[in-house]
Amino acid sequence: MSISPKKLYQFLLIACFAGYSWLLYSLFNQQADSSTIEVCLIKRATNVPCPSCGTTRSVLSLINGDPLQSLYTNPFGILIAGFMLIIPIWILIDYVKNEKTLLNYYTRTINLLNKPFIAIPMMILVLLNWIWNITKGL
Amino acid sequence: MDAHKVDMFVMANGKYFESHVVPNIRDTLLEMDDSNWAAIQTLQFKDPTICLVISLIGGSLGIDRFFIGDTGLGIAKLLTCGGLGIWGIVDWFLIMAATREKNVEKLEQAL
Repeated sequence: MSISPKKLYQFLLIACFAGYSWLLYSLFNQQADSSTIEVCLIKRATNVPCPSCGTTRSVLSLINGDPLQSLYTNPFGILIAGFMLIIPIWILIDYVKNEKTLLNYYTRTINLLNKPFIAIPMMILVLLNWIWNITKGL
Repeated sequence: MDAHKVDMFVMANGKYFESHVVPNIRDTLLEMDDSNWAAIQTLQFKDPTICLVISLIGGSLGIDRFFIGDTGLGIAKLLTCGGLGIWGIVDWFLIMAATREKNVEKLEQAL
């Protein structure tokens, strides 16, 4: 798998920016009224939540200082909050030091995740989370 | 390599690559040694149409990206509900070109 460092860093920065914009929008919308627009295509089409439904609510409860509620809503939220906090700082450090530690780490992680003995348990975890999401009725 | 063999390969597999790289692929193959023929012939390419079908059905879970070997983007798509639904729709239009690009990368690695 080959990806140029510039492309990866650009993608990650845009993704983080989009994430923060969405979070800001949800935060203001949450204060105005409790209903936020549903963007998930699967939920709109089938009324069944997808594996990552509730991530925004999870991050919002994390911001409101309720990590247990966040974990209960969707554990992916904590994962994404971690990514959104760490990645911009990591890119900044890489940029200042003129290194490619994030790219190296990314390539190593992806190579590891492509191995069946890691990939299959991960898939099972995502599926379990999906089943949990459906039973919770997110 | 024999022009007949190369033309056969291009005819059978041309649809898996971007049209503008096909002449380059043909030239490279013509200059190559005959001993590589077996390895190239056994390469399996991903069909762009199948990828489009997967993208339409499981795009917002990132399955299309996992299928073509973009594990990183697949995870990003899965965790964000298909990029808040927008990326999922954008990928309906990008996935065929992305698949062809991946196929070219695969062929280049084998050459």
